[in-house]
Amino acid sequence: MKKISLAAFFAVVLATVFFACSKSGGGDGGPEPGQGFDKSAMLASYADNLIIPGYAALQQQLAGLKTASDAFLAAPSPATQATLKQAYTATHLQYERVAAFQFGPAESALLDLFVNFSGGLDYNFNTSGELTGFSTDSVTIEQNITAGGYNLAAMTRASFYSQGFPALNYLYFGPNAIARLNANPVKRKQYINDVLARFKSLADKVASDWTGYRASFVSNTKTDVGSPIGNMINQFAYQMDLLKGPRIGWPFGKQSNGTVFASKCEAYFAGISMALAVENITSLKKIYTGGGSGKGMSNYLAALGKQSLNNDVTAQFDLVLEKLKAIPDPLSASLVNNAAAVEAAYKEIQKLLTLLKTDVPSATGVQITFMDNDGD
Amino acid sequence: MTGTKTVRLTTPVSIAPLVTFRITFGLLMFVSLLRFWWRGWVTDVYVLPEFHFTYQGFEWVKPLGNTGMHILFLIVLAASLMIAAGFLYRLAAVAFFLGFTYIELIDVTTYLNHYYFISLVAFIMIWLPANRRYAVDVLLKPAGRRTEVPAWCIGILIFQISIVYIFAGLAKVNSDWLLDAQPMRTWLPAKTHLPVVGPWMYAPWVAYLFSWFGAIYDLFIVFFLLNRRMRPYAYAVVLLFHVATAIFFPGIGMFPYVMMTASLVFFSGEFHERLLGYLPGYSLKPGEGTAYKYSRQKIFLAAMAIYMILQILIPLRFLLYPGHLFWHEEGYRFSWRVMLMEKAGTAYFTVKDAHHREQYVVNNAEFLTPLQEKMMSTQPDMILKYAHHLATEYKKRGVNQPEVYGEIYVALNGQRSRLFVDSLVNLAAQPVSWKHYTWVLSYKKLAQ
Repeated sequence: MKKISLAAFFAVVLATVFFACSKSGGGDGGPEPGQGFDKSAMLASYADNLIIPGYAALQQQLAGLKTASDAFLAAPSPATQATLKQAYTATHLQYERVAAFQFGPAESALLDLFVNFSGGLDYNFNTSGELTGFSTDSVTIEQNITAGGYNLAAMTRASFYSQGFPALNYLYFGPNAIARLNANPVKRKQYINDVLARFKSLADKVASDWTGYRASFVSNTKTDVGSPIGNMINQFAYQMDLLKGPRIGWPFGKQSNGTVFASKCEAYFAGISMALAVENITSLKKIYTGGGSGKGMSNYLAALGKQSLNNDVTAQFDLVLEKLKAIPDPLSASLVNNAAAVEAAYKEIQKLLTLLKTDVPSATGVQITFMDNDGD
Repeated sequence: MTGTKTVRLTTPVSIAPLVTFRITFGLLMFVSLLRFWWRGWVTDVYVLPEFHFTYQGFEWVKPLGNTGMHILFLIVLAASLMIAAGFLYRLAAVAFFLGFTYIELIDVTTYLNHYYFISLVAFIMIWLPANRRYAVDVLLKPAGRRTEVPAWCIGILIFQISIVYIFAGLAKVNSDWLLDAQPMRTWLPAKTHLPVVGPWMYAPWVAYLFSWFGAIYDLFIVFFLLNRRMRPYAYAVVLLFHVATAIFFPGIGMFPYVMMTASLVFFSGEFHERLLGYLPGYSLKPGEGTAYKYSRQKIFLAAMAIYMILQILIPLRFLLYPGHLFWHEEGYRFSWRVMLMEKAGTAYFTVKDAHHREQYVVNNAEFLTPLQEKMMSTQPDMILKYAHHLATEYKKRGVNQPEVYGEIYVALNGQRSRLFVDSLVNLAAQPVSWKHYTWVLSYKKLAQ
């Protein structure tokens, strides 16, 4: 009798272990047919309609930017500069359309750090009390140009602030851009071309990596930390955090008792901060709704029976966009001249952030934590 | 009546369950701590944060710096192996208990029920003669070898595990869990990637099945484990249940493995004798039985009685507080409430000077790690501690008598978020205490 119970005990343990291993090692399964919402189809729609075409468009815009840049460098003048500004704006706007895809290939290439550094959310003021945010490090840029031998792959804040959009918008549209170019043409052109080449190589890498990454992105329908759905939900909150912080709120002086940091607006020298902010949120809304494909995060929420939350999120997106559009470019001037409009937008941004950071993750069971938890 | 009970508690029984418990506990702790280290959490949780949410009464517990924390982990890792081997056992058990508990007391945001369980068990283990058989200690000093221990030595462990299950079960007897199947209804649709069962995860009846099965399991499994005939089947259910939780909720970490291993202690001495018999060098027939005797057993029995009463009272302290427990979380911790609710929040703080001339919006990322911010946003005592910390920090920055105001939104169990605390209350002026926090707004359940 006792022998039998011990044997039975081991049998149960073995069966359980086998069951556990086969379960956990069983992979993520393919598309889920039939019941409920097809998450895999949602992810496929994101990859095929928004992400992969988004990076392809970024590559195209970069090619256009290179052409316009070459023309400007060959004959620096207000006319070539104006043409260049169109190409620059188009490129930066396109970047805003892929800004919320900071995971997978873009994350491993550190695209956002090297191309459009926001300063990060956890370090806001440097030792001299200046807001960091969307800065340009013109000192490092000028040093690099004069001294040469710079390493654009360096993992420092000075390096992030002296390449990508922060560097280009300063070199193209900064104070005395044309005069400075004429004063030191060889080295300055070299630097601009190096920055462009690095940008291109990063964008090319992300675009080509997506070809291989797509399959694992589409088939992984988990929602834990680092999963595609988890990443996307986290990016909604992160992009809203950027809008509330470095894009609008911090330059506006929210953190600094009203001290405005006008020059810390995104693409300050190009003066297109609001256009970029509007494009960023327009794209975020498009990602949220799935661009009308019926396969977006909003459809997932609806399938979970959260239609009223979904309606509120969509309406709040529209309200935020309306308030953002009421702030004229350049933002650096509006921070002072249109403070009431900025304040009004800030309030609505915070409401949308709350919905995207609390209600949506909570309704979808997506974790934003990185540690073990027992649900309390 | 009292007489018979004392006899039963002090009756010599086989030491084998204790030996199994010692070995498995030590090894499991070793793996668990190694995993924690390997994932980089020692640095993430105890080195990088500039601010820690201390426990009331344990404000003196501070992290020991990068090197110090890693040395502390090394000590606790070594102690867990020494417990498993039964080498300098008493010393190792004391070192493990103190080291592990110290680590857990550094920051409330890392609180997990099974860490609390481990601390309690480690404390109990200090007083048990678990190294008197199949241990390095008795290999070195064979005269100390014992084959039997007083029955209460096993009984106290069974009691501790029973407390965990029964209170976890009682916690599930609430309307959200049983009538709305929350939070299962929120969590399960996130699990459709699982093979075979995945497609069913959208169905509400599955959430009800999980909820009810979980509640019934927690409430009654102990009684089936105590029953000699039902025990093998009950243990099969234990394995099934915890393997399922490990698959469905990998985020709960080591908890399922701790419970699966610890529950072995319910099995009889003969069972453990034969189980240990598979290990090299463990003789099945130990010759003449010798029983371990406590020299001052009555003191131990009295202390145990007090401990048991405390273990029953502590999880019930929530009854002393008004308001919805899940919302206010007063008396929530140290009560075996595991995987009980889906709660999330976003907290915005504003610091003003005494005359409200200056106003600073706080960027939480500047002071807290993402984990700390997430945990703080839904728990009143942490919100208060953070508000006090902000007042200190902004005072250093030159703000005159800083006042701290919170605009905090919290969503609970599938409901929409709403204001959590009174935004007009200066949190910096509110005392940290065990009393009910009146500045937390009261909870009303909304229609779905």
